[in-house]
Amino acid sequence: MSSIVLAAGLLMLGAVLAVTLPRNGLRAAASVVTQLAACMQVGPSLLRVLRTRAPLEGILHWSYPVEDINLRIDALSAFFLAWSLPMTLLGTIYAIGYLKPYFASGRNGGPQFALLNMTSLAFLVVYSAQNALVFLIGWEIAAVAAWLMVIWDYRNQRIRFAGFNYLISTHIGLFVLVAAFMLMYAQTGSMDFGTFGAVLSKPGRLRGVAFLLLGVSFALKSAFFPFHTWLPRAHSAAPAHVSALMSGVIHKAGLFAFLRFLLLLGRPEEWMGWTVLVFGAASAFFGVLYTAAQRDMKRLLGYSSTENVGIAAMGFGVGCLGMTWGLPLLVTAGFAGGLLHLLNHGIFKCLLFYAAGAVYRATHTVDLERLGGLLRRLPSAGWLFLVGGIAIAALPPLNGFVSELVIYSGLLSGAAPSPPARAALVAAAALLAFVGAVSALSIVRAFGIAFLGSPRDASVHVSSPTPLSMNGPMVLHACAAALIGLFPLLGLAAARAPTALFFVPGQPTNDGHLVALLSPIQIATQAFAGLVVIMCAIGWAAGRRARAHVTWGCGYTATNSRMQYTASSFSAQLARIFEPFLPQLRRERLPHEIFPQERSHVATHHVDAVERRMFEVLGQGEEIISKTSERIPEQPRFAFAAGLIVLVVVVGLLLGAGAR
Amino acid sequence: MTALLALHVVVLLALPTFVVGAINRTKALWSGRRGQPLAQLAFDVVRLLRKRAVYSRGTTPVFRLTPWLGLATALAAGLLVPVLGSTAPISFPFDFVAFAYVWGLGRVALILGALDTGSAFEGMGASREATFAALLEPAFFLVAGAMCLLTNKRSFSAVLELRPTGAIDGAAWVASVVALFIVVQVESARMPVDDPTTHLELTMVHEVMVLDHSGPDLAALQAGAAIKLTVGLSLVAALVNPVVGHATPLATAAVNVMLTLALAIAVGTVESLVARLAMRAVPRYVVAGVVAGGIALLATTFGAGGTG
Repeated sequence: MSSIVLAAGLLMLGAVLAVTLPRNGLRAAASVVTQLAACMQVGPSLLRVLRTRAPLEGILHWSYPVEDINLRIDALSAFFLAWSLPMTLLGTIYAIGYLKPYFASGRNGGPQFALLNMTSLAFLVVYSAQNALVFLIGWEIAAVAAWLMVIWDYRNQRIRFAGFNYLISTHIGLFVLVAAFMLMYAQTGSMDFGTFGAVLSKPGRLRGVAFLLLGVSFALKSAFFPFHTWLPRAHSAAPAHVSALMSGVIHKAGLFAFLRFLLLLGRPEEWMGWTVLVFGAASAFFGVLYTAAQRDMKRLLGYSSTENVGIAAMGFGVGCLGMTWGLPLLVTAGFAGGLLHLLNHGIFKCLLFYAAGAVYRATHTVDLERLGGLLRRLPSAGWLFLVGGIAIAALPPLNGFVSELVIYSGLLSGAAPSPPARAALVAAAALLAFVGAVSALSIVRAFGIAFLGSPRDASVHVSSPTPLSMNGPMVLHACAAALIGLFPLLGLAAARAPTALFFVPGQPTNDGHLVALLSPIQIATQAFAGLVVIMCAIGWAAGRRARAHVTWGCGYTATNSRMQYTASSFSAQLARIFEPFLPQLRRERLPHEIFPQERSHVATHHVDAVERRMFEVLGQGEEIISKTSERIPEQPRFAFAAGLIVLVVVVGLLLGAGAR
Repeated sequence: MTALLALHVVVLLALPTFVVGAINRTKALWSGRRGQPLAQLAFDVVRLLRKRAVYSRGTTPVFRLTPWLGLATALAAGLLVPVLGSTAPISFPFDFVAFAYVWGLGRVALILGALDTGSAFEGMGASREATFAALLEPAFFLVAGAMCLLTNKRSFSAVLELRPTGAIDGAAWVASVVALFIVVQVESARMPVDDPTTHLELTMVHEVMVLDHSGPDLAALQAGAAIKLTVGLSLVAALVNPVVGHATPLATAAVNVMLTLALAIAVGTVESLVARLAMRAVPRYVVAGVVAGGIALLATTFGAGGTG
């Protein structure tokens, strides 16, 4: 336990040094060195917890009102800490290269590095605290640090707005969380998680209310649909390392907290599992649809976080149902798949954001419609983006495939007790397949439009090459993606200890079938990777004698790069099919007459459906209602629908009264 | 067992030529022509392999590698499917998920190769391919999941042994066959979704993406597409094969190969008699596959919990 306290001290020391030392180089060094030391300090004890599954516990005496700080690192905390701290360190190293142009113009990087240290510190606090007050302090440090890092470019009004939007959203989540804690404090008179558990595990209405309050708060933190509206703005406004860490690491705290309270809840009720599953499925579905229509690369990656936390939550939902039904098969497949997917998402999402940051640093834009042909001018960022893209589309032989396969194995296991439940889980698997295919579409679109083809906009200049401090972290992330992809059992080994916490006491505990599931996959993916390498080598050798010519223009010789397919045109067909969910704003002045005299133009833009509806309802709610009510007598359809709603409400009330 | 494995590989490499030959011969006969030799695809591939490729100056190594990546995925997927009706060389629980994602990687490779040329035509084809695939993917998983529930098995070759024994299994089986056939039609770019013979770029999906490939790369693409088509048809054949589980593996294999060729003739017949759907109607056809998959899944909820 002393290692945790020492690591926290080191991180605070680094933060202080980062704001007091004179030069940016020294500030960065202070942050990197202290984070590295903190990682080395806690690393061995985390690995020991993961191996032996015996939690580390300790009590730190403090003054009023906290009094004793109970720290406890069980397998779940150890699992999250074991990758959160090193990934933050890699993000800090990346930041040195990414921020260099700002340093050259005299910006002080100290606060940024100090905040990165504080983020690591927040992980230590949130993941180990057993006291609600301490937990909230860590939660708040993470939120405020993320906000301050987002507004690095604070002179830009758009970025200040995005930051403010994030700050408000995250605090709405905080209020809901505080409400949940107050509710439990009122019952127990204590802020200790252990005593919360006694109330939470008692069946009753309080348990359901606490579950919903906590669920909403953590969903806001992890940007679940429909609580995701702050996310695309914040991610496109923040510096690349901040977007990467927020999406890949910081917001996993929401799901961690959900799992932490699920453990306190004991055996959940059946509706809880279904709620988590449906919420996850909705997030995955809407998140991935939004990625398909974005033209800003970082916004696209931001929406893809909503999608991926949704996929992980689908796993957790399956696991909850397994706990309710007492089926260890579903518990292991759901929780191991979900946990592994969180780790995998951290790995490939940081990689993709870092590559997008390299694009921004070199071209000063991440607008897909203005990019093109970057693979030849930014080869390292391009190839690494492709690796991340294949991983995020869950394609073999990389890591995304492994975790999704484990989740599929839970959904398709047919272990549920009733036929409708079994069919519902299979339908969820089909939805996951749809999500996978659309995420392949979006990432291929992002890579293909930005890195392949020829440059679309002559005004975009590619400046300096990507420095080593940026390439290094990216290469490490790509290696991690390949490692878990080629050695799935290794990934499973990391997720096994935390998964074992979710076995309901008194039921058979067995996760052997996951080893049985992944052992053949391991051999098959390695063989597949070998086959791919051999075939590509043959192809490369066969193409050596080739001649060079221009792309065939189908007989038209005056082609130019503006004629290429664009990002919008690539996703136009899908966007049209899903138009109700992907509202498109269109501003246009179309040409009139045969010889138009005035200039015409058309501009299209996909907006967030939830945010748009929210503003619509907030701004013109009364108008909408009065308009609709006016239409009721005119249109039989509306009248019928209104009548039906009234009938349902009345019958529901009657039944509810009868049930009392 | 090793003999069967060797036979599987031989069939996987040799049968695609004749499947494509059978389709083309059928189409020729329907239109009153003699048609090309049955092994024309093999001749084409050999001829192309001897040629030099031509690369656009705008392309990157992605363009050179993706046809071969696509061929690798087609081969790997072929090893996961019981092409011979009863067993696949590589079989493990939930291998059909791996199969779908390996096919997905092949699709991604094809799309990236198309986008690398910077040609608007190829971008258009790539966009269509990606969109249809997204709509199609649930159909395959609904069918596979329904078959899992009905047979209570988890691997590809085992779930394909589903045979109707009652009204409910029967409905699920018919829906599965229909859905799988649509999946194969869309994935291997056949009528009525895509026209593999037209050279009108605006109407094509798959063919337009390979416009710029030449020489050995084109050979790899054509071989990959033919293998994908054969594997898909043999999948449907294995689901309708009447002797699976009742005859020796060799006899099952013979029947399955015959059924695959018969399905190829059926594909050729459909292609001769049916016009290509308008591009905006294709999504509806794809969704019909999803609906069929949904029916198969719904049927499982009535079967008193299936056999599980």
